Amino acid sequence: MMPDPQPIHILLVDDDPAENLIMRGVMKKVSSAEIHLHYCETIDDALDFIKSGKPVSMVLMDNRLQPQADFRETVPAMRQQGFIGPIGVISSSLADPYFQKFEEYGVDFRIDKAELDPTAIEFILREYVTKS
Amino acid sequence: MKATIYSPPSLHHACGSNPAVQNRPQLPFPVQMPVAYSQSHVKLAVAGYVGDGRVVATLLKNHRRYHFDSDLEKALNRVDFFRIFHTMSLRYGFDHFGILQLGNEGDACMLTNRLALHDLPSGLAEEYDKRHRFGDSVVFKSLHTSSIPSIWKADDPHLGNGSNLLDQLGFDMLMCVPVTGINGARYAVLFLGDGEDMDQQAHFALCYDAVCAFDYFYRLVLSNKAGLGLTPRETEILRWISHGKTASEIALIVSVSEHTVNSHTATILKKLDVVNRTQMVAKAIREQIIQ
Repeated sequence: MMPDPQPIHILLVDDDPAENLIMRGVMKKVSSAEIHLHYCETIDDALDFIKSGKPVSMVLMDNRLQPQADFRETVPAMRQQGFIGPIGVISSSLADPYFQKFEEYGVDFRIDKAELDPTAIEFILREYVTKS
Repeated sequence: MKATIYSPPSLHHACGSNPAVQNRPQLPFPVQMPVAYSQSHVKLAVAGYVGDGRVVATLLKNHRRYHFDSDLEKALNRVDFFRIFHTMSLRYGFDHFGILQLGNEGDACMLTNRLALHDLPSGLAEEYDKRHRFGDSVVFKSLHTSSIPSIWKADDPHLGNGSNLLDQLGFDMLMCVPVTGINGARYAVLFLGDGEDMDQQAHFALCYDAVCAFDYFYRLVLSNKAGLGLTPRETEILRWISHGKTASEIALIVSVSEHTVNSHTATILKKLDVVNRTQMVAKAIREQIIQ
């Protein structure tokens, strides 16, 4: 008999708590994995979460966090904390030219909020979490 | 001094009625001339590096990409192409897509091994392979007999005899768009769903969109990049590998994810045309990429 797959811990960092509720609903519809969604409202909370040593399989980071930070500041800060798992940036617009250089800031992928459906989550988990 | 380039006789049929072309002296032997040189007065698609070191083709407006232009130009990795193909399939009333590698029809083939990118439900392709032989399906065979796009329905009478791919996968309709990479490698973009049919205009449009998106996907993700130069980031990772660092250590050092390091490592293997990290470092030293 195959052992139960390990639960996947996703850390959502978003300054809008409503996104936490929405994302929780999306994650519930993912049937192929047991997902534990953790939520932090600020980048400082997220850094503390990483520091605490709690398991994090992947981070989904809202591009813009209050007061003015975007992924060019937040993601390197997460990397400085020693997090080497995948980080995806969520943004409703990928038009800004700096999105073309996201890898230089330690980002693995970018995705629009509207595109984050259960199929997309399953694909991302296959690509970045379960494969490895 | 400007070199005069003559059109080889074998190309004259394509020159139309332009007298300037017709009056050129002909060479007594055919000359294979790179297109960019033989028609240098026209800016054609050429490969070049962009700021991040990716090799991309600079396409002209003649390569009409319509509404996909912006998305395709900005696509960087597999997730971007997942987004593009996934959105495309939904827009045309399908539920899922798959990009299937063709060729070597005779090989025992499995669906999971042939899918280069897909958004099928997790485990579906694996379950299919446990029960069925993809190589026996009429759809797979037909992709090796014609490159005309095709539409299949689960109740097609000729799909019977235990090889009804649609029935086995649990969908009502499948559209196949055969495509090729710039080096001639054959693939097919599949769209699966439960729709009843699609009209001619939508069929044409989806075929065109699939061809455009696949062209980018092939050039940026699938193509064998052997012989191409390394980007600064790839050279940096190669240097750390030569110092004996593991992927996770390199990820910490260069502040990226372990996945990114592995992805760069795979690209370096392709570019240097080597099979493992040891051969990679040996070749890199031999070719003085690193000291």
